[in-house]
Amino acid sequence: MEQPPSDPPVTAPAASETISKNALKREQKKREREEEKRKKDEEKARRAAEMRSAQENRPAAADEEDMDPTQYLENRLKYLSTEKEEGRNPYPHKFSATMTIKQYIKEYEGLSDGQHLDDVSVSLTGKIMHKRSSGAKLVFYDLHDDGFKVQVMADASKSDLNEAGFDKVHSNVKRGDIVGITGFPGKSRKGELSIFPKTFVVLSHCLHMMPRQKSAAAAAADNAWLPGKTRNPEAYTLKDQETRYRLRHLDLMLNTEVREIFRTRSKIISYVRSFLDKLDFLEVETPMMNMIAGGAAARPFVTHHNDLNMRLFMRIAPELYLKKLVVGGLNRVYEIGKQFRNEGIDLTHNPEFTTCEFYMAYKDYYDLMEITENMLSGMVYELTKGSYKIKYHADGLDKDPIEIDFTPPFRRIDMIEGLEEMAGLSIPKDLTSAEANQYLRDACLKYEIKCPPPETTARLLDKLVGHFLEETCVNPTFIINHPEIMSPLAKWHRTKPGLTERFELFINKHELANAYTELNDPVVQRQRFADQLKDRQSGDDEAMALDETFCTALEYGLPPTAGWGLGIDRLTMLLTDSQNIKEVLLFPAMKPQDVVSQLNHLQV
Amino acid sequence: MVEALKLLNLTWNPLKNNFIHAFRRTPRTLLIRASSSSTTSSGRNRRNSPSSSTTSTSDRESIRAMRLKKVEELRSKGHNPYAYEWNKTHSANQLQDIYKDLGNGEETNSENDHVSIAGRIIARRAFGKLAFLTLRDDSGTIQLYCEKERLDDQFEQLKAYVDIGDILGARGTIKRTEKGELSVCVLSFAILTKSLLPLPDKYHGLTDIDIRYRQRYVDMIANPEVADVFRKRAKVVSEIRRTMDSLGFVEVETPVLQGEAGGAEARPFVTYHNSLGRDLYLRIATELHLKRMLVGGFEKVYEIGRIFRNEGISTRHNPEFTTIEMYEAYSDYQSMMNLAEEIVTQCALAVHGKLTVDYQGVEICLERPWRRETMHNLVKEISGIDFDELGNDLEVAKQATLSTLGKNLDNKDKASIEACQSAGHLLNEVFEIYVEPKLIQPTFVLDYPIEISPLAKPHRRSTGLTERFELFICGRELGNAFSELTDPIDQRGRLENQIRQHEKKKAALSTNGDKKEGIENEDDSYDVTLDEDFLTALEYGMPPASGMGLGIDRLVMLLTNSPSIRDVIAFPVLKVQQ
Repeated sequence: MEQPPSDPPVTAPAASETISKNALKREQKKREREEEKRKKDEEKARRAAEMRSAQENRPAAADEEDMDPTQYLENRLKYLSTEKEEGRNPYPHKFSATMTIKQYIKEYEGLSDGQHLDDVSVSLTGKIMHKRSSGAKLVFYDLHDDGFKVQVMADASKSDLNEAGFDKVHSNVKRGDIVGITGFPGKSRKGELSIFPKTFVVLSHCLHMMPRQKSAAAAAADNAWLPGKTRNPEAYTLKDQETRYRLRHLDLMLNTEVREIFRTRSKIISYVRSFLDKLDFLEVETPMMNMIAGGAAARPFVTHHNDLNMRLFMRIAPELYLKKLVVGGLNRVYEIGKQFRNEGIDLTHNPEFTTCEFYMAYKDYYDLMEITENMLSGMVYELTKGSYKIKYHADGLDKDPIEIDFTPPFRRIDMIEGLEEMAGLSIPKDLTSAEANQYLRDACLKYEIKCPPPETTARLLDKLVGHFLEETCVNPTFIINHPEIMSPLAKWHRTKPGLTERFELFINKHELANAYTELNDPVVQRQRFADQLKDRQSGDDEAMALDETFCTALEYGLPPTAGWGLGIDRLTMLLTDSQNIKEVLLFPAMKPQDVVSQLNHLQV
Repeated sequence: MVEALKLLNLTWNPLKNNFIHAFRRTPRTLLIRASSSSTTSSGRNRRNSPSSSTTSTSDRESIRAMRLKKVEELRSKGHNPYAYEWNKTHSANQLQDIYKDLGNGEETNSENDHVSIAGRIIARRAFGKLAFLTLRDDSGTIQLYCEKERLDDQFEQLKAYVDIGDILGARGTIKRTEKGELSVCVLSFAILTKSLLPLPDKYHGLTDIDIRYRQRYVDMIANPEVADVFRKRAKVVSEIRRTMDSLGFVEVETPVLQGEAGGAEARPFVTYHNSLGRDLYLRIATELHLKRMLVGGFEKVYEIGRIFRNEGISTRHNPEFTTIEMYEAYSDYQSMMNLAEEIVTQCALAVHGKLTVDYQGVEICLERPWRRETMHNLVKEISGIDFDELGNDLEVAKQATLSTLGKNLDNKDKASIEACQSAGHLLNEVFEIYVEPKLIQPTFVLDYPIEISPLAKPHRRSTGLTERFELFICGRELGNAFSELTDPIDQRGRLENQIRQHEKKKAALSTNGDKKEGIENEDDSYDVTLDEDFLTALEYGMPPASGMGLGIDRLVMLLTNSPSIRDVIAFPVLKVQQ
């Protein structure tokens, strides 16, 4: 709509003295005319600009923008009830779009400036994200859909409605409304692709004042964010974290990039699924409510089944059930699903989270390291569209992002050897001994590493490993061969006494995956559970509980099997440059808060 | 293979006759052994089956002790009875397929015919210098032909240490016996996992339904077709996902633990979050969160996931079950009918390759299009009652209903008809009692009364009705869909009304709490709360949309011809054993 700035006046040639008087006169006249035109254009542009700002600041509009949210809501409700009273349905049942905005842009991008296709009829749907009126007969809107935007140029003269009807419809359209438009395509003189409505229906009403979208955020999805790139939530239209997580629908509406986080999450899960399907795995579902919360060490949620009068726990891991299915003859099974842990909420913990676990008969942990490398490097390569490297703000948004390289093979660190080397220790070989426990206590003291009681050998080791090894694992790294005392479900190492065939995958210092050659000797398994019980009695309430039905299953014979678990949320965090797990959960667990205070929050 | 199976009972194990009894009666023997430190009840005398007259716990224990001794002996000889891995070159079925043309008595032992397989031994016969084992893996079975001549020392090891139930890896060449049984001529083998407990007998099998569900893995070892149900289940879920993805739907995950349990009317499970210090409910539907996604600008979303309802268990109900819910902006319930047809037929084709399926002796034809009929018309057609004519007088309608159907109704049905609060409830009651069981072939039942459809949009033409349908096959509800209610004012009114009705029932319950009626209705004693966040989301504007929920367990039951939901859930919830 803006007038293009007019060309600067043509300057006279340098050799003007050779030009005849007449010519000179003509030249002068021309210059004067051009000067006049320029002034006129400038004046027009200025007036237009004034008009625009007047439109935006005109009393009514200003009132609305400054209106208290409750008043705004009341006005909207009043309008809706009037509509209903007059027999109109403000919530139509259906509107058929003939194409999406994305398709529309593709189809009509090539029109020349000012060109209109009056004989073409197109129907579009979307959300009004910006509105500005140019008098009563001309209203401009930005129509958004799925990250794409098109201008709507509602001109009374092109509408099927009469002037009064036109005015009535458009004066009640508000930012945030969802509309259906049927009209013809065209470009403004300035060259902006638009749709010129013949009919204009509000399909659903936004009853709350919508925060204005920043123009940068409104950019089309062409230069969209890709997995592996950095994000900057500080620049979002809606910045306040609390509001974003509590009112996710608003976050999605206003911060178009957020949608891509959840698309990426969906793609990550699809990738894992199709990777495993190609290896002939079978996807299964095991119970989320159990009589015993087994397969991991964590505090479970408790609930109660009324009819059966039975106490049930929400699962903390599907492991034991999946291994039962391998006993039953399903050689390759996996489950992608929610786990529940009754723990505090922080940057990497939500009470419910998603994991993938798989079990593969006749394989061992060496095979799984290879599979892990293939799966993750392949996924990163596909999602980033051709790179093994991603950028991640590991040290906060105000610091430069780091690069994480998924090029296989991944580094491997032997846990005990690595720890001894890094910390200059010589840990007694028998880790179950009191001597080993004392040695590790001393080591923690020496390096000022805190281990809250109980100071079991497993917990002391965990703290030391966290301090010396995990800190070095920025690029994907396997820490392997954990001691038996830390790994009650992993098989003893075939050559290293006291250790197990286990690995944990660390990326950016966080555990992402955990896998082992499965312990399938029922006698040893029972012994390990008994050892856990000792830790429990010494106060470690995260020691694992005995599951007798699982031990019985092992007595029927579990083939040599390797098993693997991956945290989907944490992987999604890495690939979406998210530092908070809430960024990758649609509806993260939040403390209760009343709605009114949320709405007030929006005003600021 | 058959020959081997027949001889199963003739193996030289002196305890053979007690295998089956031992297993069938006291599968939980081990509980007794371990119960000293816990309160777990023992498994003794659980059931009065005829075979329980002899005590066999000790037999089972002695088998276990004997096998444990074998484990020790193997170890002392330097064998690991729990191996680390095994490289298979083929599955049993692949071999059956590759060598299907091998003639009886023929043997092949070129370089290419050296194979390696692994699986569980399910049958075993041993003679002086020859032994036959039947090995089963995830694909099928194959015989192991074990000759002393080829195995040397290992042959004695086999005779002494290999039991039915063990997991074995074997390498060898291929031979078809004179009797026509394709076999691997074993050159070497390894016990990969020594089993400690006896398997149930193939023929007498695992007939005890309770054990089948409690120890599903034993059921799967004994009845390989059980595993097929779960293979088909995986195929159904995968086919649904493929269909949705190909239509451009995005899969999302919404919370299981919620501050309010909305989206349906059911008793929820309650739990407590320690660090938040509050009660949380397990979701009873995914609906309200998925609709928030539409408000947020996603136009096609779905979620396949677990739903939890704190209700009694039956052949049709498990406290946790799996559904898919899907929502599509700018469409209405008509398009959901097409989508339902598309999904179910695609699944049927993926599982059966055809559109006629047998369900418990009835042939179900899934050929599209399926019948679409309004609830009013179906009730009229099947019961003869025309609710359009009866008008709005509830009492008149009740009397007409009772006089028309009276002789077919039992007292419970009559009571629930009497209890109906509105004409809509009455219509639905007649439908549920009288019409539902008769909807065997796929039928979309359209246009439900507004009173029983709090989340559906009012019908665009018929007052008092909503644009809602349920899909029935084999007399069971498989799906539920509507043009979604998008008007936040109307929605609030309807949910508040739902709560009022619920409170009324609850109050009635507490006043005659000790009467028998009260106990039957105990289900209503939970709280229904309003999901304010959902209503606020609607106030931001949700596009016109339709949504549908399909019960995946019931769909799998239909497509696997399973009579009970417990047949299609790997580990169903069962009563605590007494």
